[in-house]
Amino acid sequence: MRLTVNGTEHEVDVTSDMPLLWVLRDELNITGPKYGCGIAQCGACTVHVDGFAVRSCQLAVGDLAGGHVTTIEGLASPEGLHAVQEAWIEHQVAQCGYCQSGQIMQAASFLETNPEPTDEDIDAAMSANLCRCGTYPRIRAAVHAAAKKLQEA
Amino acid sequence: MTTRLIVASLTIAASVVFAEVEISPPESATQAEGLDAWSRIFDVASHPRCANCHTGPSDRPMWSGPTYGTTRPHGMNIQAGDSRMGVEYLQCSTCHTTKDTDWDNANLMPHAAPRVAMGWALAPVEADWFGKTSDEICAQLRDPDLNGGRDMLEIAEHLNHDLILHWAWNPGGGREPAPYSLQEHVDDILIWGVAGMPCPES
Repeated sequence: MRLTVNGTEHEVDVTSDMPLLWVLRDELNITGPKYGCGIAQCGACTVHVDGFAVRSCQLAVGDLAGGHVTTIEGLASPEGLHAVQEAWIEHQVAQCGYCQSGQIMQAASFLETNPEPTDEDIDAAMSANLCRCGTYPRIRAAVHAAAKKLQEA
Repeated sequence: MTTRLIVASLTIAASVVFAEVEISPPESATQAEGLDAWSRIFDVASHPRCANCHTGPSDRPMWSGPTYGTTRPHGMNIQAGDSRMGVEYLQCSTCHTTKDTDWDNANLMPHAAPRVAMGWALAPVEADWFGKTSDEICAQLRDPDLNGGRDMLEIAEHLNHDLILHWAWNPGGGREPAPYSLQEHVDDILIWGVAGMPCPES
């Protein structure tokens, strides 16, 4: 089975019902996406498929249908970090850091469809990404900051 | 009403085959038979597998039913927005991923987000059924302004084509399925329709 991750095509020998997260971590050694719950309750495994956030623990690799996968490792461009990554660093969002790749991927996808979010919009978009350290106020501030960066870019 | 229409199974992907639903309206049906059919239609429409996503302007799906404990809005502050698919915030499809293959094993895991071979979404806002009475839902379902402009046959065909509706009878994950069967529900829609879509007195 072939799939494209972060712009690189890979050939993997897996069954079609293997969750994408397993393929990324165990077959391709792309370990930015994290295993948290395995049932779409936490968001730690969030990646993009054709630019849209998807919980990779819930998507069977056979259902990718040619979609291009982007993980946290592929979010930045050669010119620099993604605006959400920059904002994450500036606001020192991460505490333990386990959830942050999922948080960043979710935020980056969200800002594509809602470039000027309110606090309420951010809460609606990000509440399904859990942070056991409780960094939610910093997450919200960083998403606002990233939105501003993207508008000014 | 003698039309005998067999709607072929809908195939989204080559490997996905869904049960055929026969759309065969009866020659005639009395009002009493229509009301009897409606009572069963209401059992389905008000069941959590259907009603939880038939919510109104709140744009919030609900969690209710035997496997959910107390009735409450969908966790995680989920709001489906005007799009009814969460495009403005968090897309339903982020967690309710599209499952094109291996349909029988799509929803085995308890508490995981259900998935079908189409994009997950709330019903249109005008199809707000959650918590409503039998006569209220009946009045909505027979009103073309509130049912998507559908007549009896089109309601039946909608039931055959919308795979989220198919899921209601095969929800997996320990969830209670909608009552009766999809075929029985379609048959009841047709009996109710031939009888003139009678509604119970409030």
